[in-house]
Amino acid sequence: MTLAVTIVIAAILALALILRIAISHSLQAPDGSRAGQIQPVDVEAFRNLINPAEDDFLRSRLSSHQFRVVRRARLRAAASYVRVAGRNSAVLIRIGEAALAGGDPRTAEAARQLVGDAILLRRNAALALVRIYVALAWPHSGSATEHLVETYERLNGSAMRLGRMQNPGVAVRL
Amino acid sequence: MLQAHSFLWHYLWLAPHILQLVLAFLLCRRGLHRLFPVFLAYAVVEAIEEFTLYGMDVSPSVSGETFWRTFCVGLVVEGLIKFALIGELALHLLRPWPAVARMGNRLITSSGVVLVLLATLAAAYAPIDNPDNAIISRAHVLQQTLYIVLSGLVLFLFVFAAYFKLSWNNLDFGIALGLGILSCEHLAAWAITASGALPDQRHLLDFVNLATYHICVLIWFYYLLIPQQAVTKSAVALPEHNLEMWNRELERLLQL
Repeated sequence: MTLAVTIVIAAILALALILRIAISHSLQAPDGSRAGQIQPVDVEAFRNLINPAEDDFLRSRLSSHQFRVVRRARLRAAASYVRVAGRNSAVLIRIGEAALAGGDPRTAEAARQLVGDAILLRRNAALALVRIYVALAWPHSGSATEHLVETYERLNGSAMRLGRMQNPGVAVRL
Repeated sequence: MLQAHSFLWHYLWLAPHILQLVLAFLLCRRGLHRLFPVFLAYAVVEAIEEFTLYGMDVSPSVSGETFWRTFCVGLVVEGLIKFALIGELALHLLRPWPAVARMGNRLITSSGVVLVLLATLAAAYAPIDNPDNAIISRAHVLQQTLYIVLSGLVLFLFVFAAYFKLSWNNLDFGIALGLGILSCEHLAAWAITASGALPDQRHLLDFVNLATYHICVLIWFYYLLIPQQAVTKSAVALPEHNLEMWNRELERLLQL
């Protein structure tokens, strides 16, 4: 009987989650309101936080206990950057998908590239967060976010390309 | 009204499957059978299976043992087609995005393996509630096992798509939603039945199962008949201030 009760509760929870996702899918906010949800990420500061050379330097200068404390603080800061990058990628996926419906094939291609890069960033952000949490438990472990910055840079490029096509009047300085 | 062989019982057993055949016809007429071959096969096979079972149930010459054996065979076939249907939905969802397709395929395979193990464990601990007719109990446990895996896989698809903000095609979404509601409700109902609880109220669970199936077929109809959701045609501009900010960040990166 305990088994049946457990399965019934699991089934109800699964159904509730499916319906919640389905309802939010049907009630998506208009895409125009999404653009403002993008939050800035200071890539340079982020790069500094995850730089293995910085970690090596700190490791050589600090005691083991001090290093663990500092590394954990740096990892927590990196995690907040990764979460913001992940949220930005979700917004960009929606913006890119909206642009995919446009008639211009070049814009649609740029939008497809943006969505592909944003999905890749969201995947890498999820994996990076897992690695960061593991590193929080073992601060002496290796780098936690190897490919994230490169993916974020590529996403910046895709977003700018799409932005240039949609707003040719906006000066883009590269 | 809520008794076996009442008018409502006959209606709920037959009507959804007649509707499923109409659905299959409409799929073919609209040329969607090329895009959804497994769903088409599911609609047809499920209807044939249920008409056969209905005929056997109302025919006095068919023994209970024969009915339940046919039921189990039908369940295995139906289960295989439903797994293939989930594969079809996953393919449609992941194919446009190679960035997550490989990871998605790996995760769905791993989830399937874990769910099969959990379902096997649950089956091993399920009681044989009817020792005189063990085949009936086994059929109930088989249903429970099937729906543990199915509901888990459908839930995985929904969570994966929601996390990566992957957009569903209208009909894919409708099929997945119907399959999700169906699997979760059937899982709860068959878990109660397989546990041997409520022996005098099982016909009520049958009604809940039949009514849920009817609702799911109507959901599939709705998503087949409504036109593809119009995605906004006006391209959404990326906010200028963000582009400026991103450019600044990129400039700084280039200077490193």
